[in-house]
Amino acid sequence: MVMVKSLVRCMATLAFACIVTPAVADPGDLDLFSAESLSLIGDVRLVGADGERAGSKGGFGKLRFGGDAADKRSDFHLEPAFGEAALVWQPRLTWGLSGTVVALAQGGPDFEAGLSEAYLSWKPLSNSAVRLSARAGLMWPPVSLEHSGPEWAVTNSITPSAINSWIGEEVKVVGGELSASINAGTHKLSVTGGLFDSNDTAGALLAFRGWALHDRKILLGRRQPLPPLDAFSASIQPSFSHPTLEIDPGFFRRPGYYAKFAWDPPASVHLEYLHYDNDGDPEMVNADMEWGWRTRFDNVGLVAELSPVWQVRAQGMRGTTRMGFPKNGALWVDSRFRSAFALLTRQFARGSVSARVEAFGTRNRGSAVTALNDEDGWAVTVAARRSLDQWLTLLVEGLHVESRKDARSQAMVAAQQSGTQMQLSLRARW
Amino acid sequence: MILLLATFLAAPVAQARTLSVRVTDANGKPARDVVVTLRPQGRPSPAPHALTGYSIDQKNTQFHPFISVVPVGATVSFPNFDPFKHHVYSFSPAKPFQLKLFAKDQTRSVTFDRAGIVAVGCNIHDSMSAFIYVTDTALTARTHIDGRASFPDVQSAPYTITLWHPYLSAPGNSVIRRVAAGTSDESENVVVRLRPAPMHNMSAY
Repeated sequence: MVMVKSLVRCMATLAFACIVTPAVADPGDLDLFSAESLSLIGDVRLVGADGERAGSKGGFGKLRFGGDAADKRSDFHLEPAFGEAALVWQPRLTWGLSGTVVALAQGGPDFEAGLSEAYLSWKPLSNSAVRLSARAGLMWPPVSLEHSGPEWAVTNSITPSAINSWIGEEVKVVGGELSASINAGTHKLSVTGGLFDSNDTAGALLAFRGWALHDRKILLGRRQPLPPLDAFSASIQPSFSHPTLEIDPGFFRRPGYYAKFAWDPPASVHLEYLHYDNDGDPEMVNADMEWGWRTRFDNVGLVAELSPVWQVRAQGMRGTTRMGFPKNGALWVDSRFRSAFALLTRQFARGSVSARVEAFGTRNRGSAVTALNDEDGWAVTVAARRSLDQWLTLLVEGLHVESRKDARSQAMVAAQQSGTQMQLSLRARW
Repeated sequence: MILLLATFLAAPVAQARTLSVRVTDANGKPARDVVVTLRPQGRPSPAPHALTGYSIDQKNTQFHPFISVVPVGATVSFPNFDPFKHHVYSFSPAKPFQLKLFAKDQTRSVTFDRAGIVAVGCNIHDSMSAFIYVTDTALTARTHIDGRASFPDVQSAPYTITLWHPYLSAPGNSVIRRVAAGTSDESENVVVRLRPAPMHNMSAY
């Protein structure tokens, strides 16, 4: 309820600020409900998977689909699955002010539905060398180079990289951001600053479960399951985490922030850097025993066009997360995480073929989350996308991941695990 | 004096030739869509022919064509073939304008009454970009896929050739060459350096 109130307050502030500006709206510009302001996007899949129980079912698994049993690997099996369905509403209040609201239902392995995004965008037309734009509401910080569109769909594959899977499942904020883009001759520089709250538990999934590769997204107020915890961790933390939770008393009493710098030189290259700090209080706890996590990370991104049809996208991230009180000379959780990927895409007239390689790891020096939770892993993904017509797109993807994590002994599975997942997805857009 | 004037006027006027310009990049590949303008030195340029039917389409979140050449006074229509809105604008001194294009509103148009280069964008879709070269002479053409622009039946006077492209690496994105007077057909080869197209579509949400 607090989150909904803060979301409404945030969006109302931006709406007011925009509406009182001199650019008074022409009533003809208003478009609240029309065929253009509403769209429905969804997909159904055929999935083949093996390996351990998926992280989304409370296991240590790295993939969206996996075995059913908690304590053993599953053989490769095929199953139909409902991917997701998003109802996207983009009302246009004026030509500079619009809204984006995404209601999302996602299936496989467990069905859930809720609010995925709700923000206002302000982008006035301006002749100045410095162009301003702003967003406010429930949204993802601008980290991912793999997602696009208002529904934040993965563009060239089905499963995003480990980095952007984590952004999708745990790094969603209620806040506001202001961007300035500066055209300096043939160079373009963009600076974005964001202030947010309601992301105080970000980091819990990385510390307890580790990295994962899946396209399930966190919804406002919804929980993410954690894998089996050791006895001490289970005494201080429930078996779930609410990523969009505000632990500090009072909205925006202790806001987090992110800052992003992007550079477009006069070449087919785009470079960006983002720093995120949720400024959570590691000693703050709510009635459900969910803690403030102090999570910080740096992300660098690169997009390069090697030719009109070949493109490389790459990201690298490293960060830290801390939680709890000192015990035996260490905080309960004191973890470092890092990952990097490179995605090569060949565009065709009606689709694309992509290949991605990535590596990920965590190091844990806390007294509750110890070196037992350290992990190292890598993954290879191959995907193809083809537009069948104006409404339908077919995607095929194969993903193999290998990882080692001693804490898997808590789920009675071997520390070294591999998983292979094949997906065929038919995506429709109305 | 009369004799001199007679010599100057008599010979070249009757003669005509074809001037063609072939533009290549540093690797020798033909450069298409380079705007080539010929200006006879010491004489007025021939006025452009008034034509109709100029249009810049919005389709698949792109402007088509990317570069247009239109005569001064031309009216260009902007039909929207996408199922969503576009907010087309330009802040170029030659013609500042903005058009709010609804998907259902097929066409709006703009008359370009001053010579110059008009950079066109869409405020909703940052990646959309187009350029309109508004010319005051009939002797302006775009290079074709073979990098060639031809001007048949031009006078034998000496000419200044101006090449322009938005990504041409030169001051003002243009280079100038001179062609001496003559009566025979001539092909001028020009090598230009083109920057890769910028990737300004990374921040769209």
